[in-house]
Amino acid sequence: MVAEKDEEKRAGRGLRRRRTSQFYLIWLRFKRNRLALVGLSIVIIVILIALLAPVISPHDPYVTRPLRKLEGPSLEFPLGTDNLGRCVLSRLFYGSRIALQIGVLIILFEGSIGVFMGLISGFFGGWVDEIVMRLVDVLRSFPVIVLAMAIAGIMGQGIYNVVIALGIVGWTTYARMVRSKILSIKEEDYVEAAYSIGEPSYSVIARYVLPNALPTAIVMMAIMMPTALIASATLSFLGVGVQPPTPSWGSMVSAGRDYLLEAPWISTFGGLFIMFTVLGFNFLGDGLRDALDPTTSQR
Amino acid sequence: MSRRTKYILKRCLKTIPIVLGVTLIAFLILHLTPGDPAQIMLGPYATEANIQALKEKLNLDRPLPIQYLTWLKNIVRGDFGTSIRWNRPVTVVVAERIGITLILTSAGLFISVVLGVLLGVGAALRKNSWLDYLCTTQAMFWISMPSFWLGILLLYVFGLKLRLVPIGGMTGITSVILPALTLGLRQEAWFARPMRAEMLEVLNQEYIKAAKAKGVGRFIVVAKHALRNALIPIVTMLALRLPWIIGGSVVIEIVFSWGGLGSLLVNSVLARDYPVVQAILLLIAVAVVLANLLADILYTFVDPRINLEGQ
Repeated sequence: MVAEKDEEKRAGRGLRRRRTSQFYLIWLRFKRNRLALVGLSIVIIVILIALLAPVISPHDPYVTRPLRKLEGPSLEFPLGTDNLGRCVLSRLFYGSRIALQIGVLIILFEGSIGVFMGLISGFFGGWVDEIVMRLVDVLRSFPVIVLAMAIAGIMGQGIYNVVIALGIVGWTTYARMVRSKILSIKEEDYVEAAYSIGEPSYSVIARYVLPNALPTAIVMMAIMMPTALIASATLSFLGVGVQPPTPSWGSMVSAGRDYLLEAPWISTFGGLFIMFTVLGFNFLGDGLRDALDPTTSQR
Repeated sequence: MSRRTKYILKRCLKTIPIVLGVTLIAFLILHLTPGDPAQIMLGPYATEANIQALKEKLNLDRPLPIQYLTWLKNIVRGDFGTSIRWNRPVTVVVAERIGITLILTSAGLFISVVLGVLLGVGAALRKNSWLDYLCTTQAMFWISMPSFWLGILLLYVFGLKLRLVPIGGMTGITSVILPALTLGLRQEAWFARPMRAEMLEVLNQEYIKAAKAKGVGRFIVVAKHALRNALIPIVTMLALRLPWIIGGSVVIEIVFSWGGLGSLLVNSVLARDYPVVQAILLLIAVAVVLANLLADILYTFVDPRINLEGQ
């Protein structure tokens, strides 16, 4: 504890040039938070499941077995079979690939839009700021899931349309955060110094403003990952997301709902996988946020 | 004109561009379709004449700005067009379903506020007890749980296994319990935490100490003096959480097979009945905008300390 504090101090003073990045400081504070480390471990487990799905799955997730529908958990099928006789555990393992893939694509997509919008809004101010912020207000008047469902449904089902729909709806949170960060960076001496030696604004943005706003944006993405996971699972549950037979957690819960009495395991384990993953990302995100800004989290 | 009237007027003016923006989004959504909206709405077996007729009805062959303005003009008159699936005016189709959604959202809202306030107050009064710990940590649990899954779990345990409540559909008062609980449990944490924080602050104020010193009973102090002031932020929280409560009710209606706006929206999206989709989107967004406006105005009355100049 003391050693870490000391390390942080030295890093802060710039005595160890190599490791004074903002990310290093964030990591030092992050690793003191036990819950955050639990979150990190859960996330690593889920990533490993996704990577190793072909190796650890007991069966092919797509093979249907008409004679073995809705079987309870057994040695052969550890979490039972679904209404088409497919192995639930294998489908859940493969489902983690879909979930993580969609989640990462969503935060990258909404994050890039949000950073861009927040950047131009905060940096240029004036009417640009006014337009962007009013657009944010307008989009935030719609419940996320309602607007995303309408967009995804109208564009047609599929993974990429889920990403686009949730991206169009979700960038506003990033834009607000990045904007306020840019506003405070604009006041910094180094930005003024850059201007005074005659640097054009695009160069000031690229060299000073953006690099300093980026850690905020990246932590923001980690914080938004749970929302992205739940929202995409919800779209699949509602039938406008990932389409069967592709194994997605949301559509598995939805399919299991019709067989709740005979085969409660389909919905139950599907939801458990979502919850486990989301909880991991939530702990991770909370830890990152506290590490990024220790002043706001003293509760 | 008093400062408050001025503030309220200014706040009202600010909602106009937002409402216009909302209508623009609801309008543009139709044009996200890959291909011809009229063709897609009518399906692959539609005749050329039918498609042409729908195009004319929706002005689809005219330039976008003209289409938007005509659409807007009709909406101001209360004409949202005709539902393609039901072949009846959209307003009628929507009006039939809205009651069910109102019941669900208000019941969910009621549960979340009551639970949240009780938990928050309890946590503040017994600081550092297990109740306090529960109050501050439970949010993580609820937000990690997809609402559709929570609904299905409740349905399974209380509907199918214990048979305490009817399953599926809206049949009497008992069938409201599970959906409202699903909605309320996930939202309650958003009220409990601010309630706890506010209550802790209020309990430290001089007037509470004075009341206590005067010998006023503990219950009266909490209920009459502290709670009244601590409830103020809940008003804002209500408006802030409204979009999430409506969004949650859409999903929960599907889980519990309720025929409200939520299931109408999902089914209309899947059936490509776009006039209905547009109307519901618009209705929900305008409700959210108005709720925020109302909360801001209410705030000027319940909390005279509020700064009316800036935001």
